Amino acid sequence: MLVDLAGGWNPMLGRLAWSQIPYDNPILAPLFVAVVIGTIIILGLITYYGKWTYLWKEWLTTVDHKKLGVMYIILGLVMLFRGFIDGLMIRTQQAWAVGTHSSGVFGATHGYLTPFHFGQVYSAHGLIMILLAATPLLVGFMNIIVPIQIGARDMAYPYLNALGLWITAAAGALIMISLFVGDFAHNGWFGYAPIFELQYSPGVGVDYWIWTMELVALGTTLGGINILATIIKMRAPGMSWGRLPIFVWASLSANVIALTSFPALQVALGLVAADRYLGAHFFTAGLGGNLMLYTNLFWIWGHPEVYFVILPAFGMMSEIFPTFSEKPLFGYITMVLASLAIAGVSWLVWLHHFFTMGAGPYVNSAFSVATMLVGIPTGVKVFNWAFTMYRGRLTFNAAMLWAIGALFLLLIGGLTGMMLAVPAINYMVHNSVFVVAHFHSMLLVIVYAIFASVIYWFPKVFGFKLDEFWAKTMFWLFSAGTTLVFVPMYMLGFMGMTRRLDYVFNTAWHPYLLVMEFGIVVYMISVLAFFALLYVSIRDHAKNRVGTDAWGTSRSLEWLTHSPVPFYNFAVLPHISTRDEVAWRRDNGIDHVQPDHYEDIHMPNNTGVAIILGGLTFVLGFALVWRIWWLCILSLLAIMALVIYRSFKGDPGYIITAAELEEMEKDAMRREAQIGKQHYRVGGGVLGDAIAYERSDLPPLASQPGSSVGLDHRS
Amino acid sequence: MSHGHDDPTLHPEVQISTSRGYFLGFAISSILMLVATFLVTSHAVPPFGLLMVISACAGIAIMAQIYFLLHIDISEHNIWNTVALVLFIPLFLITIGLTWWMFSQLYLHTMIMPGMPGMMH
Amino acid sequence: MSSPACNVDPKTAELWDKGHYQYDVISTRTLGYFMYLLSDGMLFATLFAAYGVLSYQHSYFGGPTPADFVKPWYTFVQTMALFLSVLAYGFGMNALKHKNKSGVISGLLAAFVLGVLFLMLDIHDMTHLASLGISVATSGGMSAFIVLTQVHATHIFFGLIWILVMMAQVMIKGFTTEVVGRLLTLRMFWHLQAIIWVFVYVFVYLWGYMS
Repeated sequence: MLVDLAGGWNPMLGRLAWSQIPYDNPILAPLFVAVVIGTIIILGLITYYGKWTYLWKEWLTTVDHKKLGVMYIILGLVMLFRGFIDGLMIRTQQAWAVGTHSSGVFGATHGYLTPFHFGQVYSAHGLIMILLAATPLLVGFMNIIVPIQIGARDMAYPYLNALGLWITAAAGALIMISLFVGDFAHNGWFGYAPIFELQYSPGVGVDYWIWTMELVALGTTLGGINILATIIKMRAPGMSWGRLPIFVWASLSANVIALTSFPALQVALGLVAADRYLGAHFFTAGLGGNLMLYTNLFWIWGHPEVYFVILPAFGMMSEIFPTFSEKPLFGYITMVLASLAIAGVSWLVWLHHFFTMGAGPYVNSAFSVATMLVGIPTGVKVFNWAFTMYRGRLTFNAAMLWAIGALFLLLIGGLTGMMLAVPAINYMVHNSVFVVAHFHSMLLVIVYAIFASVIYWFPKVFGFKLDEFWAKTMFWLFSAGTTLVFVPMYMLGFMGMTRRLDYVFNTAWHPYLLVMEFGIVVYMISVLAFFALLYVSIRDHAKNRVGTDAWGTSRSLEWLTHSPVPFYNFAVLPHISTRDEVAWRRDNGIDHVQPDHYEDIHMPNNTGVAIILGGLTFVLGFALVWRIWWLCILSLLAIMALVIYRSFKGDPGYIITAAELEEMEKDAMRREAQIGKQHYRVGGGVLGDAIAYERSDLPPLASQPGSSVGLDHRS
Repeated sequence: MSHGHDDPTLHPEVQISTSRGYFLGFAISSILMLVATFLVTSHAVPPFGLLMVISACAGIAIMAQIYFLLHIDISEHNIWNTVALVLFIPLFLITIGLTWWMFSQLYLHTMIMPGMPGMMH
Repeated sequence: MSSPACNVDPKTAELWDKGHYQYDVISTRTLGYFMYLLSDGMLFATLFAAYGVLSYQHSYFGGPTPADFVKPWYTFVQTMALFLSVLAYGFGMNALKHKNKSGVISGLLAAFVLGVLFLMLDIHDMTHLASLGISVATSGGMSAFIVLTQVHATHIFFGLIWILVMMAQVMIKGFTTEVVGRLLTLRMFWHLQAIIWVFVYVFVYLWGYMS
């Protein structure tokens, strides 16, 4: 049944052997030492400060959607950093290994990476950035914000939520361990048949790639179900569909895509696994397999996935523009319809990733037209944002700058996307770095929206604002890096440079590659600025504390509860009367009205089962990669036993009594009163175009929300 | 927040079950499968017609099962299940249909399919 | 102005829920599970798409095709075993309506026995194929055939374990909200396996036998 491996295998350790540890690799070995030392330092610090109990009780076993979201975001940021380092390595190799005279070190003929190692680096870069950076970051934000925005106390399935996080974390651990044990796939992040077949890739790299993706797919599907059920079933009284904040609509559309498309990825990779483990012939070159079937199945998932990550980013921008334009979002209904339309059309376009397959003019033109259709709802969104800002009172703080940056990148990426939708152009630039520059523009829209959201929602989650100076510094450095890397990349694409070159033969491209190298160094500095941002903000957190409505002009429901959000979200669930509930309450002077009495609430208990299941999933993945069959069976049995145990035990939850609740609420309000720095502007948030125009005779407002303009509380 | 005080067996999704409904779902789909199996084994109908007939059998059997077993209808308690299903069915068709279409076109253009113009000479 | 519902008077508007808001635990659970099942359906749809591409004449590479070994009446017996298992589960759910504990247990037990029968017929079928020298490694077409049918069988296997767990839970815990919710989700899971089997039977077994 199982294939015969050409290399060594023994029943105890599978394919694992000392020779699989790259201790002689001049890049990985020092890195490994650094990681070990870093881990020891971190674990030592936790032990020294006696934080293990705190960590276990408050974070690792939590089912609180906000903490899980924060952990998703931390996971995403760590992986974003890892993926960025991969990008730095790719750029450096391409700037170095140009022309026959370029030098080579560390065993490479040109540059410092051998072709096999270079292949692993770009494969890991792509997979990490899309599945382990963008996806967890966005899922994290949806996790934190969606339940509060719809006025729920938690997700529909808090335990499943924790499980989704830990399975995703297991996937991240699996791809990280591939650095030091064995190797990673060299077939690009989306893989090509038949190079990933056992015959051509006999190592374990492809197996790491398969099981990492399978685990992320599982975790994201679970998360998607949870968010959908939460939005459908858990809305607060009065929160009708027409009153949902736009980010919730975007999350809904995105998770419809996640729910429907991830199974296709699971099947595509599952069939690769069948080929590699059972000797099946799905994607082999001979014996009736079909190479392009893999590409087809992969992109059935792959294209919807692109919209799964872009839609929440659009939702974030749709929250940030109105807040800092002090106007309601222009065209709410069209925005909702556009999100749903993008989700729908995303299912009809996947062939544009392989126009060159040669399916013929009918197929290519049908998919080309469908792809161009995506431009319509996206255009609607761009115009809606532009009209939202038109005649608004714009505040150019860091969050707004990031959001506007995202808008510009969306224009560039979107228009080049329309070019690529034409099969005739696509045949010319297929697999060139023009395509690479296009999709990096689009994915950077997400990165920009994420940093905008980090700044925008940080005070809601942690109770204090991030430092404006460093946030803006980071923005400008990051934008300079983006320009310097991707403008030359578009140009090189037109000159015919193909992607994934470990050696660049054409020395005429060298200047462009050097500019890109300079750009990635600027990116590196912006990463340092991000660390400075975190350091300075945490150091000065006492100065930057905020109250409930951190920006003074916010609109949706998450700004009605305290900052930081208490673990029960709302002591008494709000009753929703209108869209943009917080803006409406503020405009009518009832935003400080508190509930007159409290009632007992029921909350779920923490559980250690989720993180243990995540650990077992990691063991299962590792055992599958190395074909340690006894460990596979053992971990699978342990997973089943634990699931059954949990199902017998159940979770009765616990009750917070009305008295306790009142005490906690009073505490929160006392803290808020001490801040005393919160200022509201006259009519803030409600001004329509005409009113804003009439009021332009008012003295100009300070550009920094939170700085005093002499107007006091209205409470 | 908890619903636990009520008797869970009184929940509408429990109460919706009827022996008659389950039996009807079983009987209809069994008879259709019997007909399909009989037609296929007896070779009584030409292949293309047979394909149409057994597809129809499968389609009706599925609809009977969805209605009688999964209780998919437009009642208040099932509306979201119905909406989810209605949104999914086009995607099933797209996944299978478009894949089938693009590969049949591909085989046509790469002259793999027997009986295609390219195979003639 | 800011929003479409300006007609709500802020002075009299209800701002906080009066504490009567409850959400339905059971139907939240069943909705989420139903969505999971639909995504499971998408998994099968993708497998069917793969089967569609890999069931051309050249996919079998001159080797055996389903027409060589599929016995429609044998698989029809398998179909009946699964349908009867689903019917038994349905009767068990009808007993749940009347809080009839022994009725639920016997319904689940019958569903379990018939499910085991289905699975044993399937295993017998696969060992027969193996004795003919046919495996996933034979050709692309046979890979698609075997993987599609065996993914369905794997679902049945895990469903059977779940049925056992539920029998134990009904006996030990009785009809609590959680147990009833799980019985309902298992009902959907089991019924969906029958629905997918209709497709597998007609479009893989019968159609494979025809061509």
